Amino acid sequence: MVLRRASAAAGVASTEPEGRRGPGEGPVLSVRDLGKDYLIGRGERRVAVQEVSFDVGRGEFVCVVGPSGAGKTTVLRCLSGLTPPSRGEVLLDGVPIARVADHVGVVFQDYSRSLFPWMSVAANIALPLRVRKVPREHQRKTVSAVLTQVGLDPDVGGRYPWQLSGGMQQRVAIARALAFEPELLFMDEPFASVDAQTRAELEDVVQEIHDRLSVTVFFVTHDIDEAVYLADRVIVLSRSPAVVRDIVNVPLPRPRNQLETKGGPEFNELRRRVFQLVAGGT
Amino acid sequence: MATLTRLRRRVPGEVHRPPDTPSRPHRRLGGLGVKVLGLVCAVLVWELLGVAGALPADSFPTLPETARAIGTELGGSAGWRSIGQTLAGWALGYGIGSACAIAVGIAIGLNRFAFRSSISVIEFMKTIPVVAILPIAVLEFGGTLKMEYTLVAFGVFWPLTIQVVYGVRSMDPVVRDTAKALGVRGARRFGLIVLPSAAPFIATGLRVAAAVALVLTIIAELIGGAAGLGRDILVAEDSGTSALPIVYALIVITGGVGIVLTTAMTQIERRALRWHERFRPLERELA
Amino acid sequence: MALDVSSQPTLRSAPPPETGRRAPARMLLRQGGRLLGGVWLFALMVALWWLLTEHSTSPYFPPLHTILNELAKVWFFRAAQQDLVPSMEHLAIGFAVAGVIGIAGGALFWRVRVAREALTPLVYFLYVLPAPVLLPSFILLFGIGSFMKVAIIAFAALWPTLLNAIDGMRSVDPLKLETARTLGLSPNRTLWSIVLPAASPQIAAGLRNSLQVAILLMVVSEMVASTAGIGYFILNAQQSFESVDMWTGIIVLGVVGSILNLIFVIVERLVLRWYYGERALQQA
Repeated sequence: MVLRRASAAAGVASTEPEGRRGPGEGPVLSVRDLGKDYLIGRGERRVAVQEVSFDVGRGEFVCVVGPSGAGKTTVLRCLSGLTPPSRGEVLLDGVPIARVADHVGVVFQDYSRSLFPWMSVAANIALPLRVRKVPREHQRKTVSAVLTQVGLDPDVGGRYPWQLSGGMQQRVAIARALAFEPELLFMDEPFASVDAQTRAELEDVVQEIHDRLSVTVFFVTHDIDEAVYLADRVIVLSRSPAVVRDIVNVPLPRPRNQLETKGGPEFNELRRRVFQLVAGGT
Repeated sequence: MATLTRLRRRVPGEVHRPPDTPSRPHRRLGGLGVKVLGLVCAVLVWELLGVAGALPADSFPTLPETARAIGTELGGSAGWRSIGQTLAGWALGYGIGSACAIAVGIAIGLNRFAFRSSISVIEFMKTIPVVAILPIAVLEFGGTLKMEYTLVAFGVFWPLTIQVVYGVRSMDPVVRDTAKALGVRGARRFGLIVLPSAAPFIATGLRVAAAVALVLTIIAELIGGAAGLGRDILVAEDSGTSALPIVYALIVITGGVGIVLTTAMTQIERRALRWHERFRPLERELA
Repeated sequence: MALDVSSQPTLRSAPPPETGRRAPARMLLRQGGRLLGGVWLFALMVALWWLLTEHSTSPYFPPLHTILNELAKVWFFRAAQQDLVPSMEHLAIGFAVAGVIGIAGGALFWRVRVAREALTPLVYFLYVLPAPVLLPSFILLFGIGSFMKVAIIAFAALWPTLLNAIDGMRSVDPLKLETARTLGLSPNRTLWSIVLPAASPQIAAGLRNSLQVAILLMVVSEMVASTAGIGYFILNAQQSFESVDMWTGIIVLGVVGSILNLIFVIVERLVLRWYYGERALQQA
């Protein structure tokens, strides 16, 4: 399992995924030489992602950061099965992906467009359960449970998404992605459109989800503080055409705390290191 | 907290693709070829049914007959004169109606009191089927061009006025505030800010009005007796079965006029609103 | 081939906040004032019509009071039964058929790409063709009975709904479609649960257009080939120089048209509650 490393500095990062991995299980997600090109305007080809390789272990929390326009979202889309890559391969549980797998959940940045306005909150959340032919009573219970999990009152189920504040809407979106118990959760800059105060609350919601439900989380963000706070490992992408600049281990103890963890010296050191990598040019 | 049960369901190998993505193995069946194919197929079906005798011969002319009739109509001056008459009625009615609608609509849109007073009246008038006015117009003016363009103008005016009013009133609040902050006032504000903001609404309204105007023109000719394609069709139909190909030829020609007018309006709209929505860089994925 | 969406932005301000307590008298007064402000011009115009034609001897514009008298006599209930009811029946059936086929056709076009590519030009041609032009050929095909009327109403009313359905479904926010993919929805499920609801505002606009067209063809078909129906009534009155009768017919037609539209708007606001609710909050 050879993984690419742009930085030669010793001891900077372990590219081996830490965290739970059962014997013989292997990483949940394997990315090999992933590349993605786009056509713009009149046949001009733009290389968004040059070549990216890494593994994501079962139960890990991996964050991806990089300069604006680096291709972080593109990588997420290729990994989740939304977009086919131009080059390389993505293996989910050892199998190449052809579509968005049933046990994969995705949370988008633009929650207001992702939630379905003609359905109530409860209907939105129950939709993936209906698709999976879950009995009605069980749907109800699951919706209630998952709303509580994201910190919302189950009564919110009767409202419509557009009646809720931004933070609440994003919680609903997360709840919907969790309803069918995905093993792998992709989150594409989910808190970018939310104010700082709410962002802190939502970060803790996601943290708790990860810790309690043992979900593997793949989290794209432009916020370095957020990345270090949440992650087990932080993948730093270079500017477009993107390659993996480095992968930084974040051995901070869990559960983490907004005040204490972010106030500690280890956090600052890691934060500084990641910032240097992101800001350091190509 | 309740334990959530496992709901995994794996479907190995099956590929779910939304209907719009091209399947990768074969090239897309797309573009001009299929469109032409579709039209050709429809025409062929018509011909085959006619030949097979499935269509009653006294209600459906065959394809060659119709084609010949089209040729006759367009070949002689009578056909073109009718087209001209229809277009004249259309143009006059459309022009008068839309000019009034834009003027009135802007006036009402700019003044809140005027808006509040008149909106219910205009909305009400819009829901009256214009064709109800036809008999009055015929009584007043007979089966003439004047009747025709009066009817058309009346029919075009109400919905277009509403459209213009909404357009003028629906300025993006951010745009409005920016204009205020930059100190743009009065006539300059109207010309540079209000009008361009309203332009898409007005353009849509004009495009729809063009189609409505054509329908009303035909009605004025068909029922009111004004000169033009509509009256020709009625005359042809009354002349009995022998004139059947002419009826269909005229239908096709009228459709053609409709297409020409609509396409022209769309092109003009696209040109005039070039700045509006068309400037977006297109990013397409490579499969 | 852009379409008329007839997007009528809600110009009424966002609904006043529910206080749960009794609204103060001042608010009631304001509401009353607003109502009055919207209605005075209308009332004025009717009054003007009344006064201007009070002593009219013109054959074309008889006095309004005469018209209204005659209206009461004629239309309640004899003429209503003879003419209005059959007209409405044709309209209802024709419109319903057009609506169903239009929406189903739109779904088909969305689902089956080849259908869309091949049939769109044909559909476009028929949309742009002024439907009354087909009246003579419909008469030849189907005679002048009920079936012909329903057929041409349905045929003409089909296109606005069909094209708006196609356009509305095609322009569903791609993020919603992607979300549907991530939730595991099959293409058919996506069509039913996501695409159709998402396109429903535009489909509603198409249906509203279709209603107008249906009413138009209802009247026109009766004017050209009929022995009953409100269109026939009006034209017949005009041709017999019974201008009072003609005017009563016109007024009835106008009122019926408005009522139908009003019903449509009410039903639409009910069904698309979510849409108008969302927009109201966005504009607030």
